[in-house]
This record gives sequence, structure tokens and C-alpha cells, in this order.
Amino acid sequence: MAQATGVSAGTLIENTASATYTSGTASGTVQSNTVTVRVDELLDVAVAGLTSTPVSAGSGTAVLAYSVTNTGNGPEAFNLAINPAVAGNQFDATVQQVVIDSNGNGTYDPGVDAVLPSGSPTPSIAADGSLTVFVIVSLPTTATDGQTSQVELTASAVTGTGTPGTAFAGQGAGGGDAVVGSSGADDNAFDSLIATLATVSLTKAASIADPFGGSQPVPGAVVTYTLTATVNGTGQVENLHVTDAYPTGTTYEASTMTLDAAALTDAADADAGTASGTGIDVNLGTVAGGTTKVVKFNVKIN
Amino acid sequence: MIRNWIAKVAVTLAFAGSAMSVSAQAAQPIELIGVVKVDKVIVENGKEKHQLEDPKVVVPGDKLLFTTKYRNASTETVRNFVVTNPVPNGVALASDGADAQTVSVDGGKTWGKLSTLTVSDGKGGTRPATAADVTHLRWVLGVVAPGASGALSYNAIVR
Repeated sequence: MAQATGVSAGTLIENTASATYTSGTASGTVQSNTVTVRVDELLDVAVAGLTSTPVSAGSGTAVLAYSVTNTGNGPEAFNLAINPAVAGNQFDATVQQVVIDSNGNGTYDPGVDAVLPSGSPTPSIAADGSLTVFVIVSLPTTATDGQTSQVELTASAVTGTGTPGTAFAGQGAGGGDAVVGSSGADDNAFDSLIATLATVSLTKAASIADPFGGSQPVPGAVVTYTLTATVNGTGQVENLHVTDAYPTGTTYEASTMTLDAAALTDAADADAGTASGTGIDVNLGTVAGGTTKVVKFNVKIN
Repeated sequence: MIRNWIAKVAVTLAFAGSAMSVSAQAAQPIELIGVVKVDKVIVENGKEKHQLEDPKVVVPGDKLLFTTKYRNASTETVRNFVVTNPVPNGVALASDGADAQTVSVDGGKTWGKLSTLTVSDGKGGTRPATAADVTHLRWVLGVVAPGASGALSYNAIVR
């Protein structure tokens, strides 16, 4: 029933009949009085979620999009309510901001699109007009990879809501009354979120080669450390560093650091690795779930 | 000079007198009175009930009943009596009962039952006219005897 309706609030419908006749030898015309009906404002709204598939939410923020369409016949502003705690949610998202698509391009443009202050209604939407609303959310710390959630947006006519037919005398656009339409002058819709997170596990192994062809930790023996970073989950980790300090009583063997069997220079330079006087640091950057990275380096027992 | 002045006054008076007699003739033997009601559907005990009300609150989709009452207030028989009613902007003739009326879909140039009329389909052809295409209604009543009266009605939906 969310169908745009026709004539604008305030339109005057004026009906006049006329007649022609003859009376005796004379002919004449006559007009009726004009009856006038003013069209009142119908308060109606339709809300739709614009994301057909769940929006991925990782460590940053996620953008949910909704459309609010004024299906009434007069300009109307709408109050927006965001409900992140929908029944059946595996986590409840944290609402950061509600943003109006000011430039009407359908895409969230940070710094361009206007942030709607909490408690403020939308700008007035023309009859049959539509506004895109972005809800910026982030995951709660309790969310785990693959969990889903819904966020509900409800829009309510500022003039008022209620059962269809409820009238607000004198409050309609164009000077008439405002009347609640079939939508109840409010509507809601849901957008879905899925948590795409990643976890990192790190294992460390050591193998020893002593100067005598054995594997005893004696002075002069070389210890090869293998650090294996495993990233699990559907998301990604960012700014991942593998660091390790040289054990006391050992000395780093220059130019032995590798990443996935590729050599790394010790200097702090373009490659990922840096070996300082106290330990190594390999910057893996952004690593997607399902990836394993192996860092190796050698120290000699003093 | 004085004579001329008197003559002028007399001409002016005569003119005023004839103007008065014209307005007296303008009293029509027949009068038309327009009335509008809104046809509200009220659901009572699960049954729909129509109720005609004064149009205090009217929104798109509402059904209006426009009535033109006529009465021959003279002592003379009125003949060739034809009432024409342009469909106002902002409403469409209601489709139920529309075919009982004599209508025009071309601004009053041609007339007929709705089911016999066609309009341009916007693609170079024509399509059957619908109630929403009606521009005018007409009632051809012919003779109205002295003292006779009646009412002509049509339903329209606020667009």
C-alpha cells in the first residue's frame, strides 16, 4: 500500500455545472454555484533497506543505507529512530552516526553528506520524493567472525502518526488538515550486517645446530627460530607485526632473517624486516583470513 | 445650451433605465445549485457502510459525490434543457457507474457512453477510454415543467 498519491495537499477542487435551455422563444444559459473542496495533506511514508546482501563489518565502521520515501501528498519531514537491538541478533551493532545523502548520489561521502544530529528530523521531503539515509555502525567488541545482525530504521511523520484516518486539524501543508494515511505515517525496514573478523595465532619453534654436527645448546651452536603467524576468519587483520627479542646470551646472525623463505635485509628499509640490536620486527601489514606467514632468523649461543 | 444639457440628461436616464430592465430579465426560469459530499466508508461490525458527509477532511483516494440540483422556478415550460459539468482538476470520474453517464473524453467535443469512446494511447494508436479520461459529463433532460425539479449526480475520486 506504500503507493505515491496524486494531487498535492492544498489543491482546490472546484466544481461548477452549467445548463442551456429554451424558454418560450428565448434561449438561455445558467451556471451553478461553484463548490470547492480543499485537498488535505495525507501523511504516508515508505522505508526500504537498500543493502540486499549483508554488509561486512570488520574492525572499522560499516555503512548501512536506507531510503525514506514520502508517499503522502505534501512536503513532510520525518523523525528517524535507529534500533540496533533487533530480536534474533547475534550481536547488536553500535550506531556511530546517522547521515543524510545531502548530494543525492546514493553513496556515503564522509565530510560531504550531512550528519543528522541525534533527535533531529530529516529535512523536509517533497511529496513522492525520496531521501537516502546512511547509518554508520561499528561492531561491539563481543562480536565474533561470521555473526549476523540487523539494524532497524523507523521513519515517522513529524506532523504526527497514528491509525489511518487520524486527523491533525490545520496542520496540513497547503492550509488544510493533515490526515494519517494507510502506512500509519510511519514505516520501518531492516539492513543486515555480518561480522567479518580475523584472529591471529603465533607459534614459535626452535631448532639447534651445534658446531659438532649435533643439536646441543652449547656455546657456538646456532638456533633457528621459526615464527608462524596464522590468520583465521573471513576478515582481515591490519598492521600485523611479528616481533621477537633475541634471548639473553645469544647474538643475532646477520642477514639470516627470512619471510616465507625469502631473504630480508636487516636494515630498516623498503622490505618488511628489520633486525635491530635487540630483536627482529617483520611488518606483515594487512593479512587476510586463511593466510599463514612464516618468519625465520638465526642466533648464535655465546 | 440649457436644452442640450437637459437632452443629455434624458439620454443618460433612458440608458440607465434600459440597463435595469436587462438585469431584471436575467432572473432565470431555472436555477442550478451545486452540492458536494464526501462518501466515507465506515466499517461497523465488520460491514462496510457508506456515509455521505460534508467534505471537512478530504485526501487523495476519497470519493466525492457532486450533485447539481435544478428547479424550474418559472411558470413557463423549459425545453432543450442540457446540463454540462466539466470534471474538475484533481479528481477523476469514479469507474463504478461511469458507463451509465453520458460523457466526453475530448473536452466536450464528442459525447457518448464511456464504453464506446477511445483516446490516444500516446503511441500513434488508440485505446478504450477509462473513467479517468473523462473530461465532461452531460445530462440531456429535454423538458422541465414549471415547478419541476431534480438532481444530477456523479461520483469522483480525488486523484
